[in-house]
Amino acid sequence: MAATQPRNALGMKSYLAIWVGLLCIVGIEVFLTYRHLSSDRLLLFLLIFAFIEAGIAVMFFMHLKYERPSLFWSLIPALLFVLFMMDHFWPDALRLEHLRVVHW
Amino acid sequence: MAGHEALREESPYGIQHKKLGIWLFILSDAVTFASILFAYGYVRVGSTDWTTPFAFSPTIVNGMVMTFVLLASSVTMLGALEAAKNENPSRCLAWLGVTVLLGTLFAVLHIREWLRMIGEGWRLFQNPVGGPALFGATFFSITGLHLGHVIAGIVAILVVAIKYHRRRTDESHVETVGLYWHFVDVVWMFVFPLVYLMNAK
Repeated sequence: MAATQPRNALGMKSYLAIWVGLLCIVGIEVFLTYRHLSSDRLLLFLLIFAFIEAGIAVMFFMHLKYERPSLFWSLIPALLFVLFMMDHFWPDALRLEHLRVVHW
Repeated sequence: MAGHEALREESPYGIQHKKLGIWLFILSDAVTFASILFAYGYVRVGSTDWTTPFAFSPTIVNGMVMTFVLLASSVTMLGALEAAKNENPSRCLAWLGVTVLLGTLFAVLHIREWLRMIGEGWRLFQNPVGGPALFGATFFSITGLHLGHVIAGIVAILVVAIKYHRRRTDESHVETVGLYWHFVDVVWMFVFPLVYLMNAK
């Protein structure tokens, strides 16, 4: 069977550097947690850093950066669209608060 | 013969079926995790009396150690793939073994954390410190789903390692199981800040 790993993927030294970078981001997240931010603001910052971490891991550890662009464009926009729509429609569930049946 | 042309067509992505299959699985699993994390996020931010019970030590420190271990296991998985690509089976098996050990350590740390919380009275629908009982439901379901994925990953890596040792699999299988393992790591990058850090004292 033919090898499938992209040949221009990074070496172990680069992976270790990325690993250290990811650990630094985790450190920043923990630091922010104890800065007594409001929960909305903390959630926003933590989500931004989590997406940065995930992006780095997907592109370099999972080698998506070194695959054909068609794979990236088939997978990632679809996923982001679903996440966006989820975020858009979740608050709709709050309407239930106002749609409760009134028992006489 | 013209009807057989399609069989020889190259994949538009230039990858094997198993790799495309695992990418599609990862995509669907990402949506599963996203849905429960979205649900948790709305409940968490929408509740004014939400419980924040996690002390820096031991819970947050334990979470940081777990993050360190899981991220390290991703690097060792890359080492296994690199060795397999360079046709060095013994080194590949050694890296896979280290990955399994790190994954097992992560699971043990996780279960130890659960047992400590259960000992303090936390249950799926029971909050021993007051506040919404939903805390236990969201915490145990999200971390439990992730722990299930970690355990499944450990089993999958072991199966691939054994078959690789017997020359029944090749580097493409190592890569496929590696993609799944990195995905488990990516999910933890959201679980740790959202479930642990957002609930720190």
